[in-house]
Amino acid sequence: MDTLLIHALNSLLYAAVLFLIAGGLSLIYGVMRIVNLAHGNLFAFGAFVAAWTVGRLVGGPTPTPLLYLVLLAGPFVAAALGAAIEPTLLRPFYKRPEEYQLLITFGLQLILEDLVRLIWGPYPLTVSSLYEGMGSLNIGESIYPTYNLAVIVVGGLAAAGLWAFIYRTQFGIVLRATSQNMRMAQAMGVNVNRVYVQAFTLGCFMAGLGGAIVVPQQGAVLGMGVDALILAFVVVVIGGLGSLEGALIGALMVGVVRELGITFFPEVELAVLYLMAAGVLLVRPAGLFGRA
Amino acid sequence: MAAEVSRRDFLSRLGVTVGAAATAASVPLVGAPALIERAHAQPKGNIPDTPYKVGHMTFFTGAAAVLGEPSYKGHILAAEEINAQGGLLGKRKIETIKADEAAGTDANVKEMRRMKLSEKIDLFTGVISSGNTPALGPEAESLKLLTIFVDGCTDFLFDKAVLNPHYIFRITNMQSADGVTAAVATAMTWPKVRRIAHIHPDYSYGRNAFAHFNIVMKKMVPGAQVVSEGWPKLGTTDFTSHITKAIAAKPDLLVASVWGGDYVAMYKQALRYDMFKKMKFTSMIAFGVAPHAIGKDHPEGVIAGVHSNYYFNYPPQDRWPLNSAFVKKYLDRWKEYPNFQSEGAYTTLMLLKQTVEKANKLTGGWPDDEAIISQLEGASISGPAGYLHIRPDNHQGYKDAMTGFSVNSPDYPFQILDPNRIITIPIRNITAPPGWPAPSGEDTRTYTWIDKTWPTVKL
Repeated sequence: MDTLLIHALNSLLYAAVLFLIAGGLSLIYGVMRIVNLAHGNLFAFGAFVAAWTVGRLVGGPTPTPLLYLVLLAGPFVAAALGAAIEPTLLRPFYKRPEEYQLLITFGLQLILEDLVRLIWGPYPLTVSSLYEGMGSLNIGESIYPTYNLAVIVVGGLAAAGLWAFIYRTQFGIVLRATSQNMRMAQAMGVNVNRVYVQAFTLGCFMAGLGGAIVVPQQGAVLGMGVDALILAFVVVVIGGLGSLEGALIGALMVGVVRELGITFFPEVELAVLYLMAAGVLLVRPAGLFGRA
Repeated sequence: MAAEVSRRDFLSRLGVTVGAAATAASVPLVGAPALIERAHAQPKGNIPDTPYKVGHMTFFTGAAAVLGEPSYKGHILAAEEINAQGGLLGKRKIETIKADEAAGTDANVKEMRRMKLSEKIDLFTGVISSGNTPALGPEAESLKLLTIFVDGCTDFLFDKAVLNPHYIFRITNMQSADGVTAAVATAMTWPKVRRIAHIHPDYSYGRNAFAHFNIVMKKMVPGAQVVSEGWPKLGTTDFTSHITKAIAAKPDLLVASVWGGDYVAMYKQALRYDMFKKMKFTSMIAFGVAPHAIGKDHPEGVIAGVHSNYYFNYPPQDRWPLNSAFVKKYLDRWKEYPNFQSEGAYTTLMLLKQTVEKANKLTGGWPDDEAIISQLEGASISGPAGYLHIRPDNHQGYKDAMTGFSVNSPDYPFQILDPNRIITIPIRNITAPPGWPAPSGEDTRTYTWIDKTWPTVKL
């Protein structure tokens, strides 16, 4: 029973972070029809900003509970970056064929990766005192880090908050209208440019939040962005690109299957996620919640 | 089947030594200081003053940049030192062209070709990944490009990809030495371990470490069994599931070859699970990353491997001036301590310098590649890590394999290897001897050699 609970918590932990990344990716695609290949690097950027900022303050006079809030520097900087990128780099390409958008976001991915290395160097940044600071819980004979539970809670809150935001607010209605038919929304008086920049910024904020929240547990390392992007793609391929429900279900499925893979089939841990994605694609080419 | 022996006899036959006291035996000191002081002899004949172009390929981006950066820094340090003396033979300044290994194997092969054909490089060096040397080796041979790999340590380079190397050499110890060294150190330190959990990155390095650790344990700790396996993808930083799985198997010992940023993430997560209080821990390469990346929170007293090559406090700096000089120069230049890649890249250029000087004495003028190669085969050099010998048959660099135990010291802001408990093993005793046939399957020469010739310890 305890073992089962631990497996469940491990799956949820992985799914929570994945949802933050894949949810943002899917939101941006759903509204703007842009596959943002730099999305993983915004996740990494959020992680590095959070690690660096907290790292400056650890051991100083700042009380520890406040340091957890300082982690939020990550998502806010990632969001600011998104707010700057959309109007300057993406907007000029909306009228062009999709491959231009892929090229520009791919270029952006390389630039952001190099920028991170230029600013913070090649070595990992860690702030594990925040991970240590929360201690552990006893679950039967096992112990479980409390911070992991906090990550699960934040992931859950983010999913609920996002749902409420999109289905229960005025802005959400405008967002969904633009997503369903951009021209019609424009004809009805929606300022599409503004909606785009808001959606993109929100997506980047989520990616940055994902990055910041893993930092106490995992640190910030080069290459984490590309790895995150690939996993986020697995999630959205399963769930359906552009669907938030899909991202949530996809993240949960990946979390559970990865946990099962590691526990029972360690030799194929790598393959098992891709096999699942391939299986879903065969049965439902647009993903479980895809609209195409 | 070879005869049974006691573990103590076995270890002494292998020549395993522990601690600072052993260093006098494993690293003879006589004459070493003289090597650095040696007067700069005038070269024979006319030497052109055209730059000597070196291509250095290593990881500048991605997770492996934690190893690539030190490699490049070691290389640049050596190049600057040689250039400050006027260059090779006092005339030819070293000019470095760098390339990012993260481009992928196919792109790396093309880049090597481009460097040779367009940039006209004289020497190719660097390379971290074991996935790349088996592709770059044959290409260098067909380009007739003098190559000294710093790492890319897979046994398969000389066991399979290039059986009779002419143009290519390699500095660091072979990959199999990591698993073997870790297992020998484990058998010596904790002979009672029986239940063993493994966590290794899922690619050639991790597979190789797992296989060689197990074959040595079979010989030295009969009855030891693998009770849990974890194969995270390279680049994994969430080890929660791997850790809980390993703990649930209730092992006596955890063995891991996870490295770099992945390893830093792994040990920090494992701490929160009290993992290191519940079992012993042996790693092949925990301290292989740049020294300052390991925090003081790292568990003490575990076997913290350094890719069986080099850690900056061994050979002890007061007893091996080449190392103290190197560490000081590196620290002054880069404001950080060197790792095994720094040492390997540095020694590579110093080996080139020594070889070119030797060849010049024999031939006069600038020696051609054939003259340099003939002097590299069988060459010996005293480097920061101790003596390095280039085996003439397979062009592989050999130096004593080493590992050690982690300890906190007030002298450093990070955790170090305990200088009083360094374990060294003469490399010839843990690698297949010249002439041992290359196996046809997936096994390495060293694997089949150990399997067929090592005795089994009697309990």
